[in-house]
Amino acid sequence: MSTAAPTLDDVRSLTEEVWASFLGEAEPLLPGAGGPTGGWSAAITVTGGWEGMVTVELTDRVAAAVTQQMLGMAEDEVASDEDVADAVGELVNMVGGNVKSLMPGPSTLSLPVVAVGRVARPSDAVEACRVEASWLGEPVVVSVHVFGAAAA
Amino acid sequence: MHALIIDDSRAMRSILRRIVTELGFETAEAGHGQEALDHLEGGLTPAICLIDWNMPVMDGYTFVQKVRERPEWRDITLMMVTTESEHGQIVRALAAGAHEYVIKPFTPDAITDKLEMLGLVRNGVPA
Repeated sequence: MSTAAPTLDDVRSLTEEVWASFLGEAEPLLPGAGGPTGGWSAAITVTGGWEGMVTVELTDRVAAAVTQQMLGMAEDEVASDEDVADAVGELVNMVGGNVKSLMPGPSTLSLPVVAVGRVARPSDAVEACRVEASWLGEPVVVSVHVFGAAAA
Repeated sequence: MHALIIDDSRAMRSILRRIVTELGFETAEAGHGQEALDHLEGGLTPAICLIDWNMPVMDGYTFVQKVRERPEWRDITLMMVTTESEHGQIVRALAAGAHEYVIKPFTPDAITDKLEMLGLVRNGVPA
């Protein structure tokens, strides 16, 4: 099993690509600083040739806007928690799947786990890479955690 | 002409529905492979299935295998639309009988181009 980690530039680039493909109409993802407090988070794990976890953390407003864009909802339409969980889960699925493709394989991608607040991480997960961005003026954080190894 | 969109994410089904509806397709949707098989068993005859790989109950790869076991469904075009981008996975899906493979994230143009390549769309409308 490899304990390598993707580079910050790679993770930033693929996160921006996901945003540009599905969410870029409203506003591009910009560099940011700091992370959201509360809000929504989602995680997806990769097991096999490389083992790790990719997480996405969003404020309530960003999570709602992501949902509205992905579901093609009107601006005044309110997304249900179920819809937000679905959209945020798909977001981490796309980022996680692309992180998986950067790492040694073959590996398997889990189904996403979504939480209000911060999703739990295994005790041996070490944050290897953290992209801090901003969308709609609010923080967005994408992190890659490696299992069972000290991050490089 | 129908497109059957198979993805466990309602958000992703919505994105794909908007793309193919704009091209003139009627759509049906399923949240996993078994639900999609139920649609086919129920008499739906889509021109194309757009198929995610990682789904609960039945994944997209198994769905492709099941469809290809049935001669009466041989005319259905199968296109994977997934984050699975390892070369080995792509080869497996194509060997199992998928015609095309699109990696998420994608643009609407990428889907349109693939449908044109497959002969299902011509000049922006179903062929």
